[in-house]
Parts: sequence; structure tokens; C-alpha cells
Amino acid sequence: MIAQAVLNEWYPVAMAAMVGPWPGRATMLLGSDINVFLQDGAIMVRGPAGDLAVKVAYGHVWACPGTPAHDLFAVPEAAQPGRRLVDCGVVRVKCSPLRAVENFLDIAHFPFVHTDVLGAEPHTEVGRYEVQIREDSDEVWATKVHFYQPQAAKSAAGGIVTEYMYRVAASTAAVLYKTCPNNPDAWDVIGIFVQPLTEELCEVWPWMALFDDSTPQADLIQFQQMIFLQDRSILENQIPRLLPLDPGREIPTQADLTSIAYRRWLKRKGLTYGAQMVAA
Amino acid sequence: MSLWIANGLSQDLPPGVVMAGAWQGADLAIWRSGTGRLAAWGDRCPHRGMRLSHGFVRGETLSCIYHGWTYGADGGCQKIPAHPAMVPPAAIKAETYQCVEEGGLIWVAPADTAVDLPDLTGLTPVRSVTLRADRAALTRALPEAVVDGDLWRLAALGVVLALQDRAEGLGLHALCRDPALEVQLSRWLDGLLRLAEQGEAA
Repeated sequence: MIAQAVLNEWYPVAMAAMVGPWPGRATMLLGSDINVFLQDGAIMVRGPAGDLAVKVAYGHVWACPGTPAHDLFAVPEAAQPGRRLVDCGVVRVKCSPLRAVENFLDIAHFPFVHTDVLGAEPHTEVGRYEVQIREDSDEVWATKVHFYQPQAAKSAAGGIVTEYMYRVAASTAAVLYKTCPNNPDAWDVIGIFVQPLTEELCEVWPWMALFDDSTPQADLIQFQQMIFLQDRSILENQIPRLLPLDPGREIPTQADLTSIAYRRWLKRKGLTYGAQMVAA
Repeated sequence: MSLWIANGLSQDLPPGVVMAGAWQGADLAIWRSGTGRLAAWGDRCPHRGMRLSHGFVRGETLSCIYHGWTYGADGGCQKIPAHPAMVPPAAIKAETYQCVEEGGLIWVAPADTAVDLPDLTGLTPVRSVTLRADRAALTRALPEAVVDGDLWRLAALGVVLALQDRAEGLGLHALCRDPALEVQLSRWLDGLLRLAEQGEAA
């Protein structure tokens, strides 16, 4: 039995540009079979109990199996002139969709998992940063996150201290803003949209809105794919596969403030699909 | 039934290496330090549940591959790279098992289990393999084996098999009486796997 709060959220189910006529993309959402298909120029999502509410945004198709509790989150930068919007394809991961989001919010793993790219020893320290649950938007935000990176982006020539902001925009979608190597006044925007196939299986769609106008699209996608494949080797080897929401099962530190807030926020909102509630 | 479970050949785990192990359904990380000290822990970093068997050994410590949390001989966390100046609280500790070597094999039991290992004097460790079948299939393939718990003896061949239940199948750690027959025994093991696994498929 899936909680109503879970059913009333928006979830990514396809890359919009890839959707064709029936049967279109045959996939799963929250354990149910669905088809994402094109009909008379409109994208439809059909499940066992009928058609789902649909939105197309940020290059992806979003569906809500219940009654939408709110509008899909806004990423105003997506409409900003001069940005390149890059769909990065999909990576299937045998883990809870919530673990995939949590990993995206984590910086302390950069030197060990993305060695010499997003981080490198001995630059492992995570300084104090700020985390809040914004009451107006009901989102988790982490700001003033600083980290030394050998190659922060495809367009970065050498090591720099990158500033990050992280944002949990929905239970299975997060967006980060990071210092843009080409444009000190702007932020690169990178999202991950996680489709919960089941509680222990998900598909991750990275998405970017960048000011990088020189790097070929294929290189940008390849860079992002490499990063996510490195993350997958972690995500498929965490025990348990579900994300534990009870404090005590896993031990966080100050560097994990974003993860702590994310877990608390999920629990408070009853968004526990993919979560382990009682310590095993 | 002994609480000591064979987890591979000593020679297959050189200094500075970590491998996955298993004790009665529990996943383990077994590692050997730079100076040769052996340890077996639950295969889970207390921080975010990452398998420690994917980690790395540096000197006398094992580190988790996810965030580099570093654990010493007693399982206690010594270093959290995200907070280099912090002394980790004593409560951050890997789950430790007993781990000893005897007869060229690595043996694991829960912490505080008295050491009580089978006498393997005069035997040479040869090879570890994984049988993708159960004990019943192995019994059908080896009706002549004298079974003593996890230790199966084949007197005519001069072979002893130490069995280990693993998630992916049944681990067979083979020893032989005559070191000159190592190569033959290795071939015999390949034949045994085929026979027992075919029996399973039939």
C-alpha cells in the first residue's frame, strides 16, 4: 500500500524528446507498469488505472499517479537566455530512489569516488555550510558550500574552489548550482531527476543548464555519464538498499547536514517510498 | 557444529588487500594490513552503509571507498576526511569478528568465540571455488565423502573440502595430502563443479 502523499507527487518518467507513439516508453512508476507515449501531438502517461496527470518541463516528462499536491517545482534558470540545456540520458541503478538523491546532495565523497575530477586528497575537508528547509517553497536548501576541485566541470582548465548550492526540489529530484568556470557572475545548474521504478530500483536522468558554449554536447554528456557511473558503483553497494530514516541506523557528521535535513523532510512529509522506517 | 567458517586461502589475501567474505549469511570485509595483520568485519561502513569490502587498505588501516572513513585494527574509526581535525567518537566502530589462520585457510567466527579449529596438519591448501548448487547436489556428486559439519573428507583422494555458504553459492576451499597432486586436484575440482551443477540443472 503506497501512501497517498507519495502518489500525489510529480515524478520524471521519460526524456521528452524520446517519446514516440503507442506503446512509446514502457516503464514503471512506483511499482506499476506505465506507458509514456505520443498521441495527437500530446504526451500521455497511461497506468493500470488510467491516464496520469502529465507535465513536460526541463526536457523531461513528469507524471503524478494521484492528485497533484502542488505544481511542479520551478527552475527559472531553464528559461534564461544563453544557457544550454543538456539532457544526459539515463542511468539505471539498483538502489532506492532516495539514496540516489542523497548521494547527489553529498560532497564529502568527491575525493574518493570522483578522484582527481570533482575532488582529490588531501583536499577532503568539508567546511561548515548552511542548511534550511524553506517554508515558502517547502524545499531543502544547502548554501555556502565550498569545495576544492581538480576539474570541476568539463570546461574547467585546472583546480579551483567551487561554491555550491543544493536544493531538494521534490522527493526524487534535486538541483545544484555551482560556480561556473566560464562566467563568474552566473551559476551552472545541474539537476538529477530520479524515476522510482520500485522502492529498490530507479532510473536517474541527469540534466544541465550551462553557460558553456564551447564544449561539444557529446563531451558534456560523456562527462556527466562518467560521474554517474562512478556514483552507481557506490549506490548499488550500500546496505540496506532502502534509505534508513530512523536516526541511529547510520551515523552522520556535520558534513552530512543536507542529508540529515533531506531525511527529516521526507519523514515529516510521509514521502517514505524507498525508505526504511524501522531499524532492521 | 563449529562457529568457525573457512573464508578462503591465506595465500589468496596478500598484505594491503581487502576481499568480501561471508559468515552464515552475514556479509564480511576481510583484509590484511601492510604488516600482515588479518581482520574480518561486517561489510558495512557505519556512516552510510557502504560495503567496506570495496574499500582500500593503507598501512594498518582500512578505509571506506565512499567518504574515506578510516578504521584501525580494533574496528574503531580513526579518521573522517571531511573533518580532518576531529577525533572520531569511539561509538563509530565497524562490527568486528574473530579471524585467524590455520592450515593455510582463513577462519572467521563471531567476536569472543573460543578458537576451536579442525586439525589440518599435513594438508596443503590448493584452491577456492564457488559451486552454484547446494549441499544436496554436492552430496550426489560426492557420495563417498565423510561429512563432519563443514568439513568433507575424501580419504581415497587425500582431499579435504572446507565448505562455506555464500550468497552466490557454496564456497569450496580445497586442501590435499600430496602437494605433488595440486594440478590434478585443481582439474578434479573443475570436474566436480560441472557434475554437481549439471545435477542441479537436471
